[in-house]
Amino acid sequence: MGSSPRHSRDPLEFRPKPSDRPAPEPEEPPREADDVQAYRELRELILAPEQEALEHLRQRVDDPASRTEDVGSVVAEAIQLRRKQGGDEALSSALAPTIETALRESVRKDPGTLADALFPVMGPAIRRSILETLRAFLESFNQILDQSLSIKGLKWRLEALRTGRSFTEVALLHSLVFRVEQVFLIHKKTGLSLGHAVAPSVAMQDPSLVSGMLSAIQDFVRDSFHTAQGQGLTRMNVGDLDVGIEEGPYAILACVIRGVAPRTLRDRMAEVLENIHRDYAEQLDRFKGDSAPFAKVNTELGRCLELRYKEEAQPRGFGFVYATAAILFLLVAGWLTWSTIQYRRWDRLVNTFREQPGFVITSFGRQGGKFIVHGMRDPLASDPEKIIGASDVNRIDGEFHWGSYYALDDAIVQQRATALLSPPPTATFAVKNGVLHVSGTARAIWVKELQAKALLVPGIHALELGPELDPDRLTSNQAKSEIENTLVKFPLASATLSSSEQTGLHKLAEDARALLKSADNLRENVTFEVIGHTDSTGAEASNEDLSRRRADRVVQELSRLGIPGRVLSPRGAGTSEPLRKEDSETNRQYNRSVNVRVTSVAH
Amino acid sequence: MLGSFAVGKTSLVRRFVESIYSDVYQTTVGVKVDKKNVQVNGADLTLVLWDIYGEDDYQKMRWTYLRGASGYLLVAEGTRKATIDKAVSLEQRVREEVGVIPFVFALNKCDLLQDWEVDSAVEAQLADKGWNTLRSSAKTGEGVEEAFCLLARKMLG
Repeated sequence: MGSSPRHSRDPLEFRPKPSDRPAPEPEEPPREADDVQAYRELRELILAPEQEALEHLRQRVDDPASRTEDVGSVVAEAIQLRRKQGGDEALSSALAPTIETALRESVRKDPGTLADALFPVMGPAIRRSILETLRAFLESFNQILDQSLSIKGLKWRLEALRTGRSFTEVALLHSLVFRVEQVFLIHKKTGLSLGHAVAPSVAMQDPSLVSGMLSAIQDFVRDSFHTAQGQGLTRMNVGDLDVGIEEGPYAILACVIRGVAPRTLRDRMAEVLENIHRDYAEQLDRFKGDSAPFAKVNTELGRCLELRYKEEAQPRGFGFVYATAAILFLLVAGWLTWSTIQYRRWDRLVNTFREQPGFVITSFGRQGGKFIVHGMRDPLASDPEKIIGASDVNRIDGEFHWGSYYALDDAIVQQRATALLSPPPTATFAVKNGVLHVSGTARAIWVKELQAKALLVPGIHALELGPELDPDRLTSNQAKSEIENTLVKFPLASATLSSSEQTGLHKLAEDARALLKSADNLRENVTFEVIGHTDSTGAEASNEDLSRRRADRVVQELSRLGIPGRVLSPRGAGTSEPLRKEDSETNRQYNRSVNVRVTSVAH
Repeated sequence: MLGSFAVGKTSLVRRFVESIYSDVYQTTVGVKVDKKNVQVNGADLTLVLWDIYGEDDYQKMRWTYLRGASGYLLVAEGTRKATIDKAVSLEQRVREEVGVIPFVFALNKCDLLQDWEVDSAVEAQLADKGWNTLRSSAKTGEGVEEAFCLLARKMLG
C-alpha cells in the first residue's frame, strides 16, 4: 500500500539515467546512430517516471531493512484481519511452537521474568496447596492427640528434642505408617501410560488400563463439576488404599498408597513430576503413543516408592536416647538422693539446736545451694560451733545467723543464777519451772544476799530455800556453835573472873541473845547449861564446890549482861568432865573453866 | 469406541479382548477402558480401548473422552438405520472437536442380516465418502479382529 512514486514526482523533470534493465522495447530502428540516440532519448523522456518507480520498488523489495519496516507496520493489522476472517486456529497452531520455544528460552535465561508474570496465577495455586496441607494436618491431629500422652508420645518428645524437629512433625511421621505400592506416569493428553514402577511383592495392575481409567475419571470429574483449569482430582480413597494424583502440564503422576501418607510424599511426587517435565519436555510434547523414549523414567518414578518412614533406623537413635535418658535419670536420682541426705543431715542438726537449751531456731531453709539458719542464742548456751562440729554436716554448706536473748530454759537459768549469785560450795542450786531451789548450807549473810538478788536474775520468779538455809536456823546454829565453843577461863583454885575474860563473856551474852531471838522465831525453847570445871589438883570435894561457884559466877555475869536467869542452869562438874587431858600445864588450864551447852526443844 | 447406544460397542471390545460374547445387554455408564496387544506390520502395538457409553437422548457424549485419541472405531448396526445417521453425525462432530483422526466404520450385527434395514447401497455411499467400512458381528466374531487391526494399521499411518 505504498504510495506510487508516479504521483510524487514531477513528470516534467527529465534526468537522463542509464539503465541496463530490459524495458518493454519497441522495435528498434536499425540504421542511423542519431536515430538510435533520438529514440533512446524519446524513450527515456516517455518512460523515465515509470522506470524510476520500478527501480524504487525493486530497491525496496531487495532491501531487507525496508521490507522489515513494511511488514512491521502492518503485522498487527494483518493478524487482526486474519482473525476476522476466521483463520484463528491455523494462526494459533502456526504461532504455538514459536511461542512455546520462546517461553522455554525465557525460562532458561531468567525464570524470574515469567515467574513475575505468572505471580497472580500462582497465588491461588499456592493458597490451594496450603489448604490441602492444613486439611492433611487436621486429619492426623486427632490421632496425635490420642497418642501424645502415652509412652510413645514421650518417646516422640525425646526424638523431637534430639533431632530439633517440632513434636508435631515427629508425631506425624510416626503416626503415618504407609507404603507406596505403585507409581503411574500418565500422559495427560492421551491418557496413555508413560511409565510404571511397582514396589516388591505387590500385585500390579496393568498400567495401560489404570492410566486410561484414571484419565477417564479425571475427565469425568472435570466435566461434571466444571472445575477451573488445573484443578482436578488430587486424591482417591478406597478402603486402605489411597491414590494420590499430582498433575503437571504434560503428565500426571499417580501413586497407589497403602495407609496414610504424610505431606512429604506429596512433595516428593511434585519433585519427581517436575524432574520428569524438565528431562523429558520435548518427548512429552511430541508423544503420540510410543513410550520408548520414556524407558528410563521408571528410575525416577522409583523415588516415590522409596519414601517410607524408616522404622528400622530408629533403634540406634533410640539407644542413644535411652542411654542419655538413663544417665540423666541416674544423675538426677543421684543428685536428689544426695540432696535429700544433705537436707536430712542439716534438718537433724537444726533439730539438735531446737532441743538444746539456750537456742531458738526462727527459720531454716535452702538458698542458692546453701542452708541458711536463723536463730537466737543465749550467751550461756553451748558453743554452736561445737554442736555443728559434732554433727555430720559439711560446715561450709551452711550459714548461721544468731541473735542474743535470755533463755528461760531451767538449765540456762540455773547456769545464769550460779554465775550471778556465786553460791558457796556447800550450797546447791536447782531451777525448776523458774523457781530457784537452794539446798545445802551457807552462811547467813550470803543467804540474805541471795534473798535480795535471786529474783533479779532473768528467768527466776521464785526462790525456795532448803530448811538448813532458814536465816533463823542459820543464826541459831551459828550462835549455838559460837556459844558452845566459848570457854570462860579461871585462875588456879579461884572462882573470880579475870578482866581478860570480860570480852569473851560479852560475846557469849550477845550470841545467847541472838540464839534466843531466833529460837523464838523457830518456836523453840532454849536452855543454857552452864558447866563449871576444875583441874584434877586439889581435893575432890573442894573441886566440886569450886566448879559450882565458877558456873554461878558466869551465870551471874550473863544475867547481868541481860540473859534471863530462867534459861540459865549452872552446874558444877568438878573434875568429872575434863575438857582436855591434863598432860600439860596448858591443857590443865583448859580444865579450870566454864563452858555452855545449849539445848533447844520445840514447843 | 463411538456409536449409538446398543449397537454393540462393548460387545465388540469383549469379543476382541476376551473372545467372549453375552446376549445380556448392559448399558455402559461412563467409560470402560480395556487394552489389547496386537501385531501390526510386524510391530507390537498396545491398543488402549476407551469404550465410551453410546450417545442417546439422555446421555450426551463427553467430548473430553476423545481428547488425545489416536483413532476410533465408529460403530452402527444394520438392523437400525438411524444408527448410521448417528454415526455420520458423530464422525462430523469428531472432526469438529478433535480434528481429523483415523477411524474405521463397523456395521455390526451382521449375524442378523435378515433383519437388516440397511442395504449395500448405503454401504457403497459411505465408502464413496472415503470411509473404511466393514461388517462385523460380536456374536460370531466375524470382522471383529479385522476391524481393530484395520484401525491399528490406519493409526500407524
